[in-house]
Amino acid sequence: MENMTPEVLIIIVTTIVAGVVIMFGTMIPTWAEGKAAEKAIEGIARQPDAAPQLRTTMLISMALLETASIYVLLVVLVILFANPLITRFFGG
Amino acid sequence: MDVIEHTIVFTLFGILPIRDTVLYTWITMGIIIAVVLILKVLKPNLLEYILEMVISILDDAMDVDDLHPYIPLLGSLMIFTLFANLISIIPGMKSPTADINTTIGLALIVVFSVHIYGMIKKGVWTYLKEFASPIFMFPIELIGQFSRTLSLSMRLFGNILSGDLIVAIVFSIVPYLLPIALTAITMVSGVLQAFVLTTLAALFISSAVEINEEDQEIKAKNAEKRRLRKLSKTSEKGTN
Repeated sequence: MENMTPEVLIIIVTTIVAGVVIMFGTMIPTWAEGKAAEKAIEGIARQPDAAPQLRTTMLISMALLETASIYVLLVVLVILFANPLITRFFGG
Repeated sequence: MDVIEHTIVFTLFGILPIRDTVLYTWITMGIIIAVVLILKVLKPNLLEYILEMVISILDDAMDVDDLHPYIPLLGSLMIFTLFANLISIIPGMKSPTADINTTIGLALIVVFSVHIYGMIKKGVWTYLKEFASPIFMFPIELIGQFSRTLSLSMRLFGNILSGDLIVAIVFSIVPYLLPIALTAITMVSGVLQAFVLTTLAALFISSAVEINEEDQEIKAKNAEKRRLRKLSKTSEKGTN
């Protein structure tokens, strides 16, 4: 722990934060997507005639829900590969 | 990481730097043209079937009377995005849509074409009036347009990039067998994203060009007024 420069500290904190953020950011949208799929399957089981419409709507809404976790992934990629804090405080 | 960073491959005419994304976009376009030409010669029925499939997808998504004005844009958007998403399964190639610039370009095309189709269908003044009615909704609508562009581009970019990235990471850890399964998942996600992008564009366009009933009543009233005015004018002329 002697060679703990501020950059190393920032990198450690960033890595931990990235792990926590990707956990929550994938957990919650996936749960929501599961709910959407559940309701769509219920609807298809009740009304098999409406299956194509339900499937299209479910796919679109699931893609929209997926967007939230994609944003989380982008934030995590930025703080892992192009961390703005290190360049701002320590000049690269 | 090789997947994230982009490099300048060569410079055109000594002044124009060409990034790898542009090169892969050209390769994608070449593959599309080659596939279409080969299918046109060898299997014309298959080509027709594929185009009918694209049109039926658009027909399901859009709620308009006449689909013909929108097929060129949306169909080519779907076919290009599909090929661009799937091209990364060829070794050594990168998806053009794994670059944020390509997806922002596609999203800008979609967002501007929505307004252009709306103006063509309804007339410029009517469309703008509807866009800002009531007037305090105008800033909110503007923010909505901006966030629509952002979300369209970020969704495609993030999905394709994450698929390629996961395949690259797993390939660097376990080079045998396991990447095949992940590549299959990436392919499914690529097809789904092409479908979603086109469906969302179709939904935006059909919501911009739909004429609600109040407008139709106003339009009918205006036409009636114009007819009466014309009639009175002609009758005046007749009396003169």
